[in-house]
This record gives sequence, structure tokens and C-alpha cells, in this order.
Amino acid sequence: MSWTDNRAGRLASGLAPLLLPYLVLFCGGVMLTICQSFGVFTPLPHVGDALDAYVKILNDPAFFSSFGFSLGVAMVSAFCAVAAGTFFAYQVWQLPAKLANAALIYKIPLILPHISVAFVVLVFWSPSGILPSIAHSLGFIQTMQDFPNILYSGWGVGMVLAYTLKGTPFAMLLVLALLVRFDVRQIQTAAMLGASGVRIFFSIVLPRMAPAMHTSFIILFLYGFGAFDIPFVLGESRPGMLSIHVYNLYFKHDLARRPEAMAILTMMFFFAVIFIIAYAKTVQRLENGVRKL
Amino acid sequence: MSRRGTIFSMMMIVLLPSLLSFALPARASGEALLEIPFEQIQDQARGTQVRWYMFGGWAHVNTWVDTYVAKEMKKRHDIDLVRVPMDAGVFINKLLNEKAAAKQTGSIDLLWINGENFKNAREADLLFGPFAGSLPNVKKHVDPDSITHDFGFPVQGYEAPFGRAQFVFEYDTARVQNLPKTIAELKAWIMAHPGQFTYPQPPDFTGSAFIRHVFYAVTGGHEQYMAGWDPDLFAQKAPLLWDWLNAIAPFLWQKGRTYPKDSAFLDTLFARGEAAFSMSYHPPHAQNLILQGAYPKTVRTFALEDGSIFNTHFTAIPFNAPNKAGAMVLADFLISVDAQLSKYIPENWGDFPALDMNQLSVKDRKRFQSVDLGAATLKPGQLAAVAVPEIPAAYLEALEQGWKEHVLDR
Amino acid sequence: MKHMVTLLLLALFFAVPAGVLVLISLAPGWRFPNVWPAGFSFSGIVFFLQQKEQIFSSLASSFGFSLLTVGVTFCMCLVPAAVFARNDFFGKAVLEGLLLTPALVPPMTFAMGLHFFFIKLSLADTLPGVVLILAIFSYPYMFRALVAGFQTMGEHYRICARNLGAGPFSILWQVELPLLMPAVIAGGSVVFLVAFSEYFLVFLMGGGRVASFTGLLMPLLSSSNRSLAAVLTLIFLLLPVALFLLLDLSLMRSFRKKGMA
Repeated sequence: MSWTDNRAGRLASGLAPLLLPYLVLFCGGVMLTICQSFGVFTPLPHVGDALDAYVKILNDPAFFSSFGFSLGVAMVSAFCAVAAGTFFAYQVWQLPAKLANAALIYKIPLILPHISVAFVVLVFWSPSGILPSIAHSLGFIQTMQDFPNILYSGWGVGMVLAYTLKGTPFAMLLVLALLVRFDVRQIQTAAMLGASGVRIFFSIVLPRMAPAMHTSFIILFLYGFGAFDIPFVLGESRPGMLSIHVYNLYFKHDLARRPEAMAILTMMFFFAVIFIIAYAKTVQRLENGVRKL
Repeated sequence: MSRRGTIFSMMMIVLLPSLLSFALPARASGEALLEIPFEQIQDQARGTQVRWYMFGGWAHVNTWVDTYVAKEMKKRHDIDLVRVPMDAGVFINKLLNEKAAAKQTGSIDLLWINGENFKNAREADLLFGPFAGSLPNVKKHVDPDSITHDFGFPVQGYEAPFGRAQFVFEYDTARVQNLPKTIAELKAWIMAHPGQFTYPQPPDFTGSAFIRHVFYAVTGGHEQYMAGWDPDLFAQKAPLLWDWLNAIAPFLWQKGRTYPKDSAFLDTLFARGEAAFSMSYHPPHAQNLILQGAYPKTVRTFALEDGSIFNTHFTAIPFNAPNKAGAMVLADFLISVDAQLSKYIPENWGDFPALDMNQLSVKDRKRFQSVDLGAATLKPGQLAAVAVPEIPAAYLEALEQGWKEHVLDR
Repeated sequence: MKHMVTLLLLALFFAVPAGVLVLISLAPGWRFPNVWPAGFSFSGIVFFLQQKEQIFSSLASSFGFSLLTVGVTFCMCLVPAAVFARNDFFGKAVLEGLLLTPALVPPMTFAMGLHFFFIKLSLADTLPGVVLILAIFSYPYMFRALVAGFQTMGEHYRICARNLGAGPFSILWQVELPLLMPAVIAGGSVVFLVAFSEYFLVFLMGGGRVASFTGLLMPLLSSSNRSLAAVLTLIFLLLPVALFLLLDLSLMRSFRKKGMA
């Protein structure tokens, strides 16, 4: 057939099995979300202006505090997970072969679903949980109220802990994948030339791991920002994570409030896209300024 | 390779899901079911599957449904019961979506519902009926006057009774000695023991019921609201409630900054010693958890002298239920003497029967009377003495919305 | 010494929680101030056995739609990955970025928009609907794995086989797929795990009709019966571990012998 004889046609038909579902389901889904936020294609006919939902959302201070809260939780947990993941990956990489299999236990949180990781955090950190029990037996506290308020302090610490516990093995996985291809002789050379362990890590190893670190940061940050599972188990009443706010608007209120839920989702989507672009560009600019090895 | 590979992949993407979707055979028309004798409905339902969507947060209730009810339905009517856990608000929303999408065949056969969810469902015309009057067990054993209204909203046969509930508080005699007897004493207790009391976040129905109790007590009783929704009355009286709740907020668990997200979570806090009181709509609930080993044996229940709200809960059938006949058979079984007795036993659940004891045979009445509700449950006489009816549904929604605005977001 | 510290830290953060779960499953009443459970009971196990039909059917359902998702993503990504790995064209980097976004943006943003339409198309509350939404959400992992796989494989085998006269299907079936298996397994494991652990998307599109193990587990997490939640979580942990061990022992060993992995 002539349409496959030229290269563009062949490329397009080759990409079609992926492009078609992508366009229809993903791009279509995003388009529908945006449309429903303007009151188009909603279950109930929309009464009022197209921008009503946005006006309502942007005038609600609870929205901004939820947005900021979600950003904060995502930022802290992604940062901690990448830092811990990188550290552990470096240590695990240096393990002798015999112990390397034992280190596979780090994959446990990867396998557990997010809600189970949230459950683990609950079991350990709740006022009647294990860590307060340990503190009590060590004599640090007398009653459970003496234990510092971790899970319900209003800072989202519970969620940060759960996201970090789930994210660290993920970051480890990505960083290790890069490390295994790393030529260990460079480190040996640097050590022979007198570089200290810390210097070696920061000047030689870290730049090599940077792509995996950046990738995992983006993924973990956006996941922490918009996911539903962990906040559903560990979330606090106030301020709430954005995803829970959307869930409540979508499932627990009038269908007439559907555009509001969609408006929040639209803003979350564009934030995610802008973040990815901005982060990638910043990283590129920083790396271009660094002398490559 | 590219073109053939593409076509192959496309075929797989399309065929794979399609091969796995099976369409349900269309069920007999709904309206006809209301005319035919019940034996025919039972025959039609034989060998079918019924999907019952209900609140899934109570493990013992789930177990009772999955073991006793499912077994009996299979044995007596050859019906496969599938229980699906879903919050009432969520399945109402699902039905609203399906109605708006003009979906004539849904996936829910029977609902466990009452109160404002029933009202919302009726106002949006989401329910099939009126079917309750066709159920033999309802005709035989239920007092018709007891099921005319649900939270002040007329039932008109669109839901069948399932059980009765009355609100009680639970406490551990080993930890709490001086019990508060009224709402005012409760407030004093909370302030004297900071960090030990909390209530589930409305719109969880137990938490919502708690604030209704406070509402009755601080605004002078329940009679004034029974006439129906009065926005001026509400605007006038609600601030008293918000003041009370905000006054105790700093003395609550976690200083009122966060609330347990549902009653099951509060039970866990109570069982683990983080909270001094729990609450339940089911007087035998504490006994049930003691028998399970989740509560210590020293737990008892009490009701406040200001009044303890009681209500009836129901089952209903959605407009687009694929198996209405099966749903009717299930609803009828649930209100049968055997099912109500099994449900009443604290080991199973402890939910009070919705039957009229006077319409039962002497033998059946004795079976109910001989059930040991356990040391932790209040006697029916004690409960009846303080029973007050539910508030009309419109107040309930206003209270839940107002709680969010005036207490949570304060 | 340093290695011991590393292993100790890893055990503390990652293995101890699993051990604690085992203890909870046997001790429902374990609470403050006991560092070790005061009493053990089998009530959690009893509960589990009482509900075993429902538990196993949810497990089977989750297993089923996760495997289907792997299959669908494989079909979606196989040919495009080959195209990406072997060609360079204008806008390739941008397209690649675009194609990877469904795994990055919050899935709520496109799933909730689609939901109402899935209802209208009668795709909601069905297994195909759940598989479709999971596939759209997780295909990037399969895509990346396959692209990497094709790049590692190179074109030489294909060209060789074509020169020897093999048709495109034979090449695919007898030459490329076997060589691609390690990458397929790597990508497939990630897609499987992601689909298996997903709660929200299955809940949204499945509407309670498509049973899932996570859907069964969720209400139990806030209940006072922690044993059952712990038992189910352990099953969640052991099942993929068993699967991966199986895969590792059988397939990967043969790949390593052939020098492919």
C-alpha cells in the first residue's frame, strides 16, 4: 500500500498501537476533565458561567492551603526518599557479592501496596503503636500522650513517612541501575591519587547517579503531590491533601459540584506539566555548566 | 514488519478486552414484579446472583453477611450473594451518574440505606418500587406504622426495614470511673480530661449522630424539629451547637485539629486506649467486640439522660438493578424471623430487630427474649426510657455542612 | 563492619516492618505499652479462614486484571518501542516525553474525566474498563523497558534473519521476542506490581463490580481487627515475591546461562 511506502507513514503506523490509546484515553481524558471543569459534558446540565467553578475554587482559602500542603508533603518526602535511596544504593553497591542477596530486602516496600505502607506507618507511629511502646520501656515517656504527636500534628508527617518508606527503594532501584554500569576503576584511581571517601562520592559518583536521582525525584514528587491511596489512610482532617478534596467533591457531594472537582484536577494537571518542563530545563542548564568527566 | 506488526497489535488490543466482557442477560421488567405473586418472584430469582452494596467498615457485619446470609440465600433460594463494600454516599453518587448517563442496567441489586441517603435517592428518583409491601415477611411481621417515615421523609414502600439502631456510648470501667450523665456533664468531663475524647468526622453517620445529640441537648430538645425543615429555626439554634463543639475542641484528642475519619477508626482508638469513649449506633456492638477479643472485658455501654437517638435502617433497590427479583427475595429474607434473630445475637452483630414482637408467635418471641445481649449491653427497658427520634433529613445535611464550615474550618 | 551497618540499616527500615506485620497477624490485641505482644491468638487467622472464598476471589481478580494489563501494555508498546529504538525522526525526544507523561501526572486528572464517559460506553464497572485505565496509566514502564531491550538487542539479528529469508512474523516470533524476554519481564513485573497494588483507579472504574485485593484490604486498615489487615498485607507481600522467585529461578536462570541477562 502506498501510504506505508513512505517513511512517515511507516513510522505512524508503527507508533499507532500506542499513539491511538494515548490520544483517545489519555489526551481524551484530560480534555474531558478540562471540559467538565467548564461545565461542558457534565452529568447535570451546567447552570451559570463557564468559569464559575474556577472562581469558586480560587476564592476558597482552603484550596490554597490544600495546594500548599500537598506541595510541601510531596517535596519533603521526595527529597528524603531520593537522599536516602541514593545513600543506600551507594552502600549496597559496595557490598561484597555474598551479602548482595541479603540486601534484596530493600525491595519489600516496593512490593507492598501504598495502603499497606500507610498501615505500617500507622502501626509504628500512632500514639498507641510500637515506637511509643519502645520509648515507654526505655523510660522516655510515661503515658502515650507524652509521645510527640507525629501522625496528627497537622504537618502531614505520617504521609511523608509513608511516601518516604515507599519511595526510598524506588530511588534505590533507579540509582543502582546506573551504578552497576559504573566503572569502579575510576574510584580506585581517585583513591590512589589521595581523594577521601566523601570527595570521591561527591565529585565522581554523584554526577553519574544524577540522572537517576532527577528522574526519581520528579516521579516521587508528582506522585506525592497527586496520589490518593496514602492520604486516604493517613490523611488528616485539616489541611487536607488535594486528592482527598477532589475525591470528596466528586463522590460525596451534589453532581452539580462536579465542575469544581474537575477544575482542581485541571489545575493539578497543568501544574504537573509545568513542573516537569521547568525541572528538566533547570537540570539541563545546571549540567551544561558543569565540566563533564 | 511494521505494518503487519501494527495490525496484529491493534487486533490484540481490541480483541483481548472484548473477549473478556460478557453482557448480562436482560432481567425481567421491573414494574411487572410488583404485580406477580411472591412465589413467582422466588422462582425467577432461583439460580441468579444478587449484588448487595453496603457500608464495609464493620468487619463483623461483613462476616455475618458473607457467612450466614450468603449460606442461607444459597440454601433456601439458590441465590449467589455478592457483598460489595461501598459507602452509602458513594453508591448514591454512582447511581446519580448512571441515571444521568441513562444507563438502564447497572451493577447494584440491593442497597443498605437510610436517612439522608434515602431522601437524596428518592428525590433523584433513583429507586425501584414501591416493593416493600409485596414482601411476605413485611406483611406478616412488621408494624406498618413503624416504617412510614425515615428521618422524617415518607418511605412509601421504597425501602424495606432491616434493623433498628439506638445510639450508645462505650467506655472502659477500668479506666473511667465518673461517668457523665448528660451532655453538660460530658462537656465538663472533656475539659477535665484533655486529649481523651473525640468523635468521628461528620459526615460519618456515627459522628453525625453525635452532633445531633448535642444539638438536641443544647437547643432544648427534639420536639421543635419534628414538624419539618425550618431554615429560620435552624439559623437561630445552630450557633448554640457550634459554640459547644468549638468550646470543647481544644480539649479533644489531637486538640481537635483532626478527627477520626470513621467510627471504625474511633473504635480502634478506644480499643487501643487512645480515646476514653467510643460510640455506636448498635447497643450490642461493645459486647460483640468483647467477644471478638478486640475490646477488654471491662467495657460497658451507657446512654445520656438527655436522650439517645434511635432509628430504623433499611434496604432498597436501585432503578437500574439488573436482578430486581433476586433483590426482593434477599430483602424479604433479611426481615425474616430467622435472619433477624441471627442478626440480633451479639456474637454475630447485635443489631436490633425491626420486627413487631406482638405480631410474632409466642415461640418466636421467646427466641428473641432468650438472646443474651451480654453484660456490656444496656437492657431494652433502659434504652427505651431515653429513646428520642431522628431529626428530619434536611436538618441532618445542614448540620453536616455547618459542622464543616463552623467547626472544622474554624 | 561497614557492610554490617548497611545491612542492619536495611533490615531496620525494610525488614522489621514485615516482621511486625507477622506479629500483628498473630496478636490482635497488641497495644501500648507492650513492646512485644502480651498475648497471641489465632482470631485473625480464624477470620481469614472464614472469609477465604472472598479473599481468594479478590486475589484471583486482582491477579487476573494485572496480568491482562501486562498483556495489553505489551501489545500496545511492542511495535512502537521497536520504531523508537531503531529510528530517529523529527520530534522524537518530545514525543518520547509526551508518551511518558501518563505515568507522571496524577492519574486522577485523566481518569476522573474519563469516568463519566466510561459509564456511558458501559465500560465502567467492567473488567475491560479497569484493564484499559490501568494500561494507560502503566504502559510507560513497559515502553521504556522495551525500548531499552530493543536498543540492547540491536538490529543485527533481525537483519541476519531477514537476509536468510525469514518473514516478518517469523523474525518477531523466533528471533526478536526470545531475545527481548528479559526486558519484557522487567517491564512486565513493574506493570504487574503497579496494577496489582492500585486502589483508586480500580475503585473508580471498577465501581465495586470488579473485585480487587486492595479494595478488600482498605476498609480493614482502620478497623480494630488489625490481624486480618496484617494477614492480608502479608499475602500481598508474599504473592509477588513468590512470583518473582519463580520467574527468577526458571526463566532468568536460563537467560543468565545464555548470557542475555
